[in-house]
Amino acid sequence: MSPSISADIHNDDRFENLRQELRRGSLPLAVLAALRTEHYGYTLRKTLADHGMAIDEGTLYPLLRRLETQGLLVSQWREEDKRNKRFYRLSPDGKLILKQLLIEWKNIRTSLEDIF
Amino acid sequence: MALVDRYLQAVKFWLPRKQKDDIIAELSEDLRSQIEDQEAELGRKLTDTEVEPILKRCGSPMAVAERYLPQRSLIGPALFPIYSVVIRSLLVYFLLPWLLLWLGITIFSPDFRADHPGAALFASLEPWWLACTYSLFFNTLVFALLDRSQARSHLVNDWSPRALPSERDHNRISRGATLFELTITVATLALWVQFDTFHRVFHIFGVTITLSSHWPYFFWGLVVLTLAGIGISGLHLSTARWTRLSASLRLVIDGCAWGLIYCLFRANLLQSLSGSDVSSTEAAQLVNSLNLWMASSAVWVLVIGILVLVFDVRRILRVGGTA
Repeated sequence: MSPSISADIHNDDRFENLRQELRRGSLPLAVLAALRTEHYGYTLRKTLADHGMAIDEGTLYPLLRRLETQGLLVSQWREEDKRNKRFYRLSPDGKLILKQLLIEWKNIRTSLEDIF
Repeated sequence: MALVDRYLQAVKFWLPRKQKDDIIAELSEDLRSQIEDQEAELGRKLTDTEVEPILKRCGSPMAVAERYLPQRSLIGPALFPIYSVVIRSLLVYFLLPWLLLWLGITIFSPDFRADHPGAALFASLEPWWLACTYSLFFNTLVFALLDRSQARSHLVNDWSPRALPSERDHNRISRGATLFELTITVATLALWVQFDTFHRVFHIFGVTITLSSHWPYFFWGLVVLTLAGIGISGLHLSTARWTRLSASLRLVIDGCAWGLIYCLFRANLLQSLSGSDVSSTEAAQLVNSLNLWMASSAVWVLVIGILVLVFDVRRILRVGGTA
């Protein structure tokens, strides 16, 4: 594929929509996996971004709230560097679910690789 | 940081009351961390101009707050397809024909325009507006209530593949319907001829009605067209479906029939009336009034005829599309 055609595809709205949809589906798994270690929102975002899963604050915080409501995360307000921060980590249920999700993820990846 | 505080205040406005402070504290912490990181890189405080892109990237206050709210809709995706069919049917089979009828009368009837000068012409459309508003409002209300009630689960979940309607074939004509149509047409034709209507003079309840000399043309024209209609029905008895030929013939017959009826209404058909109880002056006035009434009603015939022809053309396109 020539560079100009490749650039055109990346600017294509259809590609962008599908790309976002694909990433959106993987976000809960990425967040749960990253929260095996305790993080507060901003450092969690930075960790995810460092691993190529950049996520904006408007998406992350509602997702964290939803996962916490579902009992997969626990959170705690704590002072650090003279500022109150909300720290998140996996709950026991979250650990179990993450384990199952990772198996599911590997199955999906294997299936997709078979199809490709 | 005044810009950040203003931003957070705007987000806070849209948030659910119980979660306001918690969400704002967390969002505030994130924004301030971003700003501090950039300030550490630059070695100075950020200006408002530099803070602005950070807030813009975060999203409009309403959009940010909306992500914390549960997904809401007036009519959910389970019922929306039914709602959409009901509203479309209402528009296509009720409101649109009404509007077209009004347009037809407005365009073709000088009397109607004279009776409704200026703004009164649009005021004459008021019942249509009211029908639009009420029908859309009540349908939406009913579906919104249904969506929030238990009825939704019955509607959406209680189904069986065997209970689904059979496959639709728009071009199929049931032989029963064709036989019914044929019976009615033949009976009408028999009555038409039996009452001796090809003569110009009728005697009804002691009154003698004389029609104009054009009457035989209309009479025989309608007889021929009715016979042609019987021919099409006969064809449908054997084929049991619309074909391109039968649909085209139907268009021609309907076009001629409605054209003929339109001319008949405008032809001053009544020539004279006479009877023992009616004076000649009264009879002349009555003849004049009846002819005038028919002429002014011709516009209705034209509008109905056009609607019939539109359906006929649509049928030809449909048959052509599936041929």
